[in-house]
Amino acid sequence: MGPLDGLAYGFSIALLPGNLFACFVGVLVGTIVGVLPGIGPVGAMALLLPSTFAMHPATALIMLAGIYYGAMYGGSTTSILVNVPGEAGSVVTLLDGYQMTKKGRAGAALTIAAVGSFFAGTVGVVGIMLAAGWLAEVAIQFGPPEYFAITLGGILLLSRLSGGSILNAFVMVALGLALGTVGMDSISALRRFTFGSVQLAQGIELVPVIMGVYGVAEVLLLAEEGIAKTQIASVKLRELLPTRQEWRRSTMPIARGSVVGFLTGLVPGPAAVLSTFISYTLEKKVSKTPEKFGTGMIEGVAGPEAANNGATAGAMVPLLSLGIPFSPATAILLGALVVHGLQPGPLMISQQPEVFWGFVASMYIGNLMLLILNLPLVGVFVTVLRLPQHVLATLVLLLCLVGAFSLSNSFLDLWVLVVFGVFGYALRKLRVDPSPMVVALVLGPMMEKTLRQALFLTRGSVVELVARPLSATILLLAAAALFGPPLVRLLRGGRST
Amino acid sequence: MLARGVPLVLLLAAGIYLTLAFQLPFGSGARPGAGFYPVIVAVFAIAVALVATVSAFRGAAVAEPVELDAPSRRRVVISVVALVAFCLALPWVGYPAAAFAFVTVVLRYLGARWTTALLTGALSSAGSYVLFAVLLDVPLPHGPW
Repeated sequence: MGPLDGLAYGFSIALLPGNLFACFVGVLVGTIVGVLPGIGPVGAMALLLPSTFAMHPATALIMLAGIYYGAMYGGSTTSILVNVPGEAGSVVTLLDGYQMTKKGRAGAALTIAAVGSFFAGTVGVVGIMLAAGWLAEVAIQFGPPEYFAITLGGILLLSRLSGGSILNAFVMVALGLALGTVGMDSISALRRFTFGSVQLAQGIELVPVIMGVYGVAEVLLLAEEGIAKTQIASVKLRELLPTRQEWRRSTMPIARGSVVGFLTGLVPGPAAVLSTFISYTLEKKVSKTPEKFGTGMIEGVAGPEAANNGATAGAMVPLLSLGIPFSPATAILLGALVVHGLQPGPLMISQQPEVFWGFVASMYIGNLMLLILNLPLVGVFVTVLRLPQHVLATLVLLLCLVGAFSLSNSFLDLWVLVVFGVFGYALRKLRVDPSPMVVALVLGPMMEKTLRQALFLTRGSVVELVARPLSATILLLAAAALFGPPLVRLLRGGRST
Repeated sequence: MLARGVPLVLLLAAGIYLTLAFQLPFGSGARPGAGFYPVIVAVFAIAVALVATVSAFRGAAVAEPVELDAPSRRRVVISVVALVAFCLALPWVGYPAAAFAFVTVVLRYLGARWTTALLTGALSSAGSYVLFAVLLDVPLPHGPW
């Protein structure tokens, strides 16, 4: 099936009433959690994962992904109107977005953000179609050594890119990898690190860990504040239209942001957040008046808002074509597919076309829904911010508890939730990003399996394992990314003294 | 204190993990056993923990958490205690009672009025019970009654 036939087929799937509804629920929930500071898309996706168990895998994927990219739209609203990022991908938006609000141009900023997101979402869908198809064709020839190199390289890159110190990231990776070895060994069926517990033999489930680290931990941060009142700027509908000049100034930033975002999404790491910083820096660099950034420049809203949406689309490519998630959000999507017995990978596009193409088409429809939801109805979502935060926080905690239990009716999952909630809260207090741990927990078992298979194939020769052209390239790239910057710094420092 | 304590705890944990990993069959390079990969992970963890310990004792700057004021700290502690209490109580008192108590207590301590707390507790425990136990067929424990 060519891309165009595939897309047409995809629309026939995505337009089924059940899938349309799932898409709507997803983007609606996404917008709401995006608007609400403190509760991010990853926590919300984990919370809603159990409710998708009874759905068709395509429907589940459509809904959960809708939350992810929907949150990118919603997050900008809070950044622009309240000067608080609704979620991490909108931190950069508030630099110029809130300044625009102060100047009375909130409506224009919101419109440009939504249109930019929509454009980037569209570019992203085209990007997925082309890139995922191509990558899947290449990946069919991958064996265990290549998959091992990709998972290892991905983890290394992620540690470099996750912000903060690389040492902290490595600590998180080590923890995630170690947690991933708990439970039954997939090859010899031997129980490892279970201390005699039958429940632990299943391993430490990803979803309660994510609910804890991204749900409970965030609510505990909210709990610090107690009852807080938010000041919200009001927007009138007729103020939503940007001026002709504002449109003109935003066009190129949106186009650049879309491409930058999509490409960043392909790389392992916190793509949505990272892409906004890259786009902002880029816009500042190409601008004739870089000194004006931070005073309400529309370019500083348009570029990053397009970029974070492009990145959510880009992040789908490694998941859909290789079956490898490089971020906590895509790890949940993988979880949703695996529950249904689907193994995303190079064969999924040809063997389960309804899942792949239905999903791609739904992203397009979802972006259209979001444009409609976020422009005329922006006022409705802003009222969500007026909800009493402490009530919301308590209800989210309760939902985490009942959600974690309902995953597999296990008390162990409840305890995992609470322990990782407290742990995630402590990490935030120490300003350590937990996502390398989460990704390592998912990729660890894949890495072990592929390493053991690969060593079996090469009869134990590590040289043969890493010297295959593709594995070598991937590992070299990761090593360059990891050690390149400090090495350059070292050389420069050496020259200057 | 915290900056030096954490790396030491990590080092200890990595050491224990390595000891446990060595008890699993290691296999050989060509036929790696169940303990092969955990040993690699353990070695990596120990290396990372060692670097962290050394840099902490050499006085590398580590972000110490910002001190919370007493009311904020109390709200966080109460929330955590309530979470733990919920998990402990769930098998004994059942979901509706545990959820009601959990929401009421946490809301009250976050600063809501008693009436709001009780009402939200009742509505949310009933609502979530109907959603999960009745509509989604989750076998939530219902307690002795």
